[in-house]
Amino acid sequence: MVLIGLPFVTDSRSFLMMLTQIFIFAVFAMSYDILLGYTGIVSFGHCMFFGVGAYSVGVMMNEKGAAIGSLLLAILIGMVLSALLSYIVGMLSLRLKSHFYAMLTLAFSGLLLVLAEKWRSVTHGNDGFTFQVPELIKDRTVLYFIALVIMVLVYLGLRRFIHTPVGRVLQAVRENEQRTESLGFEIVHYKVLASIVAGITASLSGSLYVLTLRFVNTTVFSMDMTLNALLMTIIGGVGTLIGAIIGASIIEFAHHWLTELAKFHPIFERWIIFFGLLYILVVLLFPAGIVGTLRSKWHKYRKARPQDTDPSGVSTESESQGKKVNVS
Amino acid sequence: MMTLLQVKDMQTFIEQYHILQGVTMDVTPGEITVLFGRNGAGKTTTLRSIMGLQPASKGSIHWKGESIERLATYQIARKGIGYVPEDQSMFYDLTVGETMRIAMRRQDDRTMERQEWILNVFPDLRTFWNRKTGLLSGGQKQMMAIARAYVNDNDLLLIDEPSKGLAPIMVEKLMQSIEMMKAKTTVLLVEQNFFMAQTIGDRYYMMDEGKIVHQGSMQELRNNGEIRRKYLGIA
Amino acid sequence: MDGVINLLVNGLATGMLVFLLAVGLTLIFGLMSVLNFGHGGLFAWGAYGGVWLYGVTGSFVAALIGAVVIGMALGWMMERWVIRPVYGNHVQQILVTLGVMLVLSEMLKVVWSPNPLKADVPPLLSGSWEIGSVILIKYRLFVIVIGLLVFLAVQLVLKKTKIGLIVRAGVMNKEMVQALGIHIRTIFTLVFMVGAGLAALGGALLAPYSGVIFSEMGMQFAILAFIVVVIGGMGSIQGSMLAAILVGLSGSFLAYYLPELSLAGNMLLMVIVLLIKPSGLFGAKG
Repeated sequence: MVLIGLPFVTDSRSFLMMLTQIFIFAVFAMSYDILLGYTGIVSFGHCMFFGVGAYSVGVMMNEKGAAIGSLLLAILIGMVLSALLSYIVGMLSLRLKSHFYAMLTLAFSGLLLVLAEKWRSVTHGNDGFTFQVPELIKDRTVLYFIALVIMVLVYLGLRRFIHTPVGRVLQAVRENEQRTESLGFEIVHYKVLASIVAGITASLSGSLYVLTLRFVNTTVFSMDMTLNALLMTIIGGVGTLIGAIIGASIIEFAHHWLTELAKFHPIFERWIIFFGLLYILVVLLFPAGIVGTLRSKWHKYRKARPQDTDPSGVSTESESQGKKVNVS
Repeated sequence: MMTLLQVKDMQTFIEQYHILQGVTMDVTPGEITVLFGRNGAGKTTTLRSIMGLQPASKGSIHWKGESIERLATYQIARKGIGYVPEDQSMFYDLTVGETMRIAMRRQDDRTMERQEWILNVFPDLRTFWNRKTGLLSGGQKQMMAIARAYVNDNDLLLIDEPSKGLAPIMVEKLMQSIEMMKAKTTVLLVEQNFFMAQTIGDRYYMMDEGKIVHQGSMQELRNNGEIRRKYLGIA
Repeated sequence: MDGVINLLVNGLATGMLVFLLAVGLTLIFGLMSVLNFGHGGLFAWGAYGGVWLYGVTGSFVAALIGAVVIGMALGWMMERWVIRPVYGNHVQQILVTLGVMLVLSEMLKVVWSPNPLKADVPPLLSGSWEIGSVILIKYRLFVIVIGLLVFLAVQLVLKKTKIGLIVRAGVMNKEMVQALGIHIRTIFTLVFMVGAGLAALGGALLAPYSGVIFSEMGMQFAILAFIVVVIGGMGSIQGSMLAAILVGLSGSFLAYYLPELSLAGNMLLMVIVLLIKPSGLFGAKG
C-alpha cells in the first residue's frame, strides 16, 4: 500500500529510482532462489540470463527504434534465448555432481562476457551504448509502477509454480535427491526445467534493468551481477521468495548508503567486503538466511500452540532449510 | 579373567533407522570370539560402531577399562585395535608393499618382525609385493586386508566376514591363519559360515535384529542345533 | 616457422601457470571432495604478494618463496575457519568458497590498490635468446621449467613418500585410512595448504609474465583452471597437466589466428569432453 502511494508523496527522483532498482533486483534474486532455494542447484553464472535480457532490449531499441511493440518483442526474444541457453547448460551438466553446474555456468557467463566485449559492431564493447526507449516508459513514475507490478506478478507466479506438482518434486530433489530418484522421477528433467524457469525470469529482470538506465554495457554480464543475486538470496534467506525481495532491498540500500559514506573514509568504497564477510557467516551459521531463520522461529512458536492451523502451507518449506542435504 | 573390550548396551542409528538396539558383549584376551547372525542382523554395524566409523548414540565401549566410545576412529585405532572391513577396502591403486608401508605406524624391529611373520603366513603377498592391490584375487585381497591390520602391534583384530565370496579351500586357509594369529593377538570375528568359524572360535555371540540373543562357548553352540536352525538357518 | 615456435612456447607457459592453479584444485577435490571456488583468490594473492615482495626485497627468489608462504597461510586459515564447518555439504561448500573468493579479491584492493599494478621481470630472466631466426623469451622458458619441476615434484611426493601414499590412499578410501590410525584431518589441512601454496606460486609467476596484475585476475584464471579440471578429470594430476597444456596451446594458437574464439575454443573443448566422457580424460568417476 505504502509503495503504491509513495510516488505521489516523495519528490526525490533518486529515491524512486532506487526503489525501482530494488524491485528489478528482487525479480532477479527470486529467479535465483528458484535454483538455489527450491532445487538446491548452485549457479555461478546467473548474470548470463540477466545480460541476455538486457542486450536483447538494448540492441532491439537501438536497431529497430523505440516502439512498444519492438520492446515487447525484444523482451520475448531475451526470454527465448535464455531458455535455450539454460537448456543447453543444464543438459550438459545437471546430470553430474553439483560442482559441474557451478563451474559450467561460471565458464559460460565468462564466455558471454567476452562475446559482448568482442562483438563491437553490435554491443560497442566495454563502453556500451545508450538507446531510446518508448515515450511511455520515459516517465520515472510509470517505470516505477511497471517494475512494482512485475515484481508482484513474478512473486505470485513463482509462488504458484513452486506449489504445482513440478514445484513439489523440485523441493523433494533439494531435500533428498536419491530418494526422489528412487521414487521414479527423472531428476535431470526437473532440474533443467527449474533452470529454464529461473533463466526466463532473470532475463526479464535484465530487460527491465536496462530500461531504467537507457544504457547497456558489459557489466550486465559481469561476475558482480551474479554476486548480487547470490548475496541478495543468501542474506535474505533461501527458499522463501520473500527473502529474495528483502535481500534485494538490504543490499541496494546498503550499497547506496555505504557508497555515500565513502566520502568520509575510502574503506566504504569496498562495501562489498562487509557483505562478503556477512555472506560467509550467513552460509556457515544461518543457512536459512534472515527470513528463513525468522520463519522457523515463528513456526516453532506456532507449533507450541497446536490449535493454530497453517492455511498457507508455505512455512513448511522454510523449516528444513537448516539441514539442507548435500546435492551431489 | 579381565576383559579386553567391553561393550554395554550399545545403540546405533543410521539416519532414522535403529540398527543396533542395545548390544552387550565382552571380548576376552587371547581368545577368538565369533559374532554370528544373519544378513542384516547388525554384525557389521557392531564392528563399525566399535571402530567409531558409525558412532553409537547410546551405551558404552570400554577398552582395557578405558572408555573409548567418544574417541575418533584414528584414536581408537591407535589404542591397538585393527580393523578388517567386509569389503576389504583395498587402496586399489597402491601396491602390496605401499599398503604395508602406510599401514605401519612405527618402523621398529617389532613391527618388522610382525610383517615378516604375516608374510610367512601369506606368502602370496610376498610374491605380489609390487602388484597393485586392486589387481589381486579375492582371497589375496582378504590376506592383504588382514596383514594390513595385523602388522601394527594391535591387541585386537576386528575381522568382518573373511569367508564372504571365497572358495571353501581359501576360507579354510584363512581360518587356519587366523587361528595362528591367536597366539599373538585377540580376535573378534564376524561370520555367517558356522562350519568354518566353529573350528577356530572359543566363544560365540548370536545376533538378531540388532540385539545379542544368545552367547556362550563354541562347544555349547555345537551342541545346540535349535539355536543354529533358528538364527542361522542350518542344522 | 618461428611464429609457430613462439606460439608453442607461449601456450606451454600459459598451460604451466594454469596447471599450478589446477593441481591444487584437483588434489583438494580428489581427497576432500571440496571444490574450492576461492582458489583463484589465492592465485591473485600470490601475484600481489610476489610483486610487493620483489619490490621490497629486490630478490625474485624471495618473492616466489614469500608468495608461497602467503598462499599457504591463507590456505590454512581458509581450511580451518571456512571449509571445515561444511565438510560433506556440497552446496554450502560451493557457496562459502565463492564468498571467500569475493572477500579475497576485495581485500587485495584494500591492502594494495584498486588499480592494476605493474610487474617487472627480474633482470636475470628478462630478454631473450636468438637461435637463428627463432626468438625465445627467457621468462617464458623459465615458467615452463618451473611448471615441469612442480609437476615432477608432486608426482614424486605422491608416488614415493609415505605422506604422498597416505594422501592417495585417502582419495581412494578415507575411512580405511582412519581405521589405520591416521588422522585424516591433518592430511586434509596439509593438502589444502600445499594446493594454496602452489596456486600462489602460479600467481607470482604470472605477474612478470603478463606485466600487469589486477584484482579480477583470480577469477579469470580460475575459469581456465575449472575448464582444465573438467577436461582432465577431477582428481587426476596427469589429467590436469595434459588438459592444462591443451588449454594453453589452444588458447595461444587461437589467440593468434582467431582471437575472438580463444576462450570459446577452450569451452568447446570442455563441452565436447562433457558430452563424450563426463568424467574427463583421466577421470575414474563422474
